[in-house]
Amino acid sequence: MDKLTIAMPKGRIFEEAYELLVKAGFDLPEELDDSRKLIVEAPNEGFRFILSKPMDVPVYVEHGVADIGIAGKDVLLEQGRDIHELLDLEISRCYIATAGLPDTAMDEMTPRIATKYPDIASQFFRSRGEQVEIIELNGSIELAPMIGLAERIVDIVSTGKTLKENGLVEYDKIVDITSRLIANPVSYRLKQKRIDEIVERLRK
Amino acid sequence: MTIQMFEKPLGMRDDFPSIVKRKSKLSKVGIKIMEQFGYEMLQTPSLEYYETIGKISAIADNQLFKLLDNQGQTLVLRPDMTSPIARVAASKLLKEKMPVRLGYYSNVFRAQLREGGRPAEFEQIGVELIGDESLYADAEVILLATEILRGLKVESGRIVIGHTQLLQEVLRGYGLDAALAEKLRAEMVAKNKVAYENMVDTLVDDAEAKSSLKMIMNTTRLEDWQQWIDQTDPVQRSLYEDIRKLKTILDRNGLADFVTYDLSFTSHMTYYTGMVFEIYGEGSGFPLGNGGRYDGLMKQFGLHVGATGFSLRVDRLLEAMPAEQENPEQTLILYNEKNEENAHKEAEKLRTAGTRVTLQFAPAVKAQEEFSSLFSKVIRMDGENNG
Repeated sequence: MDKLTIAMPKGRIFEEAYELLVKAGFDLPEELDDSRKLIVEAPNEGFRFILSKPMDVPVYVEHGVADIGIAGKDVLLEQGRDIHELLDLEISRCYIATAGLPDTAMDEMTPRIATKYPDIASQFFRSRGEQVEIIELNGSIELAPMIGLAERIVDIVSTGKTLKENGLVEYDKIVDITSRLIANPVSYRLKQKRIDEIVERLRK
Repeated sequence: MTIQMFEKPLGMRDDFPSIVKRKSKLSKVGIKIMEQFGYEMLQTPSLEYYETIGKISAIADNQLFKLLDNQGQTLVLRPDMTSPIARVAASKLLKEKMPVRLGYYSNVFRAQLREGGRPAEFEQIGVELIGDESLYADAEVILLATEILRGLKVESGRIVIGHTQLLQEVLRGYGLDAALAEKLRAEMVAKNKVAYENMVDTLVDDAEAKSSLKMIMNTTRLEDWQQWIDQTDPVQRSLYEDIRKLKTILDRNGLADFVTYDLSFTSHMTYYTGMVFEIYGEGSGFPLGNGGRYDGLMKQFGLHVGATGFSLRVDRLLEAMPAEQENPEQTLILYNEKNEENAHKEAEKLRTAGTRVTLQFAPAVKAQEEFSSLFSKVIRMDGENNG
């Protein structure tokens, strides 16, 4: 059996996704989470997991160094890569929203948006006919309105707790997010039977 | 300032001798096979008018390299070969020779939008068969493409075949309005099964239509297609009949195990009007090439004829081709001033016998040992001993 390389996001999504695979009856080694390894083999299934930053999963899959992968819809929307989106795993549910300090308006001349998702943010505001300036940040986006870098942020909201703790309120919900099973277009065709079978088992 | 001279524009690559060697072998094999099939090689200019080729080619506007000529006209570096060849074929000269078979091995240019990892200039090898609307022309180009792959020893290739017109007819058969059908098609182009299924779920009312529409993105065999074909619809029936005949021809040529028939496989390029296909091979994470019937493009040049063809990406073929083992013999003759004339004579003798010979004036080489180690045989004519 050919080895199937699966790109997995490190961190919170990993645990949920791993559990999902185990539940679907895949014979995987236990205790991967505390390992610092970047490549983990699951010899009984012929799987090789590569553990990467969530943002990088679609990169590995698009270039074909991973056959399939598990990626958040937020990352897929932001990057628009050429991959097959095969299944909604319905894990890591959250949504992308705009937020800011309560009762504030956007600057009329130069409305500024801080975000990890420049493409999603700019598309959203453009669809409302607003042209905004995007400031790309890599984390702790909530800081931006608090210290006057931007009037609004565009970010992931799961419980809303982080926003509340920092005195921010949500303004518009943009899109719902869950994790998806994705596949490289070449791998999908060359190993279609095997990949389709994984999809079917995960669907149940 | 000096640093910049060594940098290349985004996506531009240098080809080192080993790559150049493999490319030239690839083109030799490919061109020979195309010529054996009766195709004549064509070259078109690197620069074309934006108004014609730039707009007609299916490549997104922001991927075009644009420049101005001295008259202020906008030009593009050709982003593909299909539209320039269609332009040539539409000229009077070739119109009278239809069907015309043309092949090419050319570089094309597509600007990079994001990170690197992709070339902005790359070669394509392919053919266009213009002036034949029959399914036999479609079969011919697919067989030719696979023959080239075989000639290049690309193993484990796979072809996925769809049919854009039949797909549209099938969607229309469900009574979907044009806008919804186009939305569903767009998700198929995006290869987004999740969004496609959600859209069918929320926008299609009829329960039976819902469940059968959902399955379209799961087809792999031509027999699967039958459940969507309305046999009472003459257009659908005849298109399906065509692709069935096409399969018979491909099967007869030993391709039965290498072809996937996916009704939902389609292209973002709207000029494709019939059979479309894509080719994959192990070793490259990206498709090796694609093709199909593009009668719609010919229409834009005012020509109402059928056209079909394919193009293969040379850079990806190189990834999928087996690594070269053979290392041709390369002889080095090191000479000094005294033996210069004899060295030339010796070299000429060896070259006539078919040996590759590098002539090198010995005192000009600083690291003689390292330099000599690059050759399979060294002949010293510089007064030193061999070995």
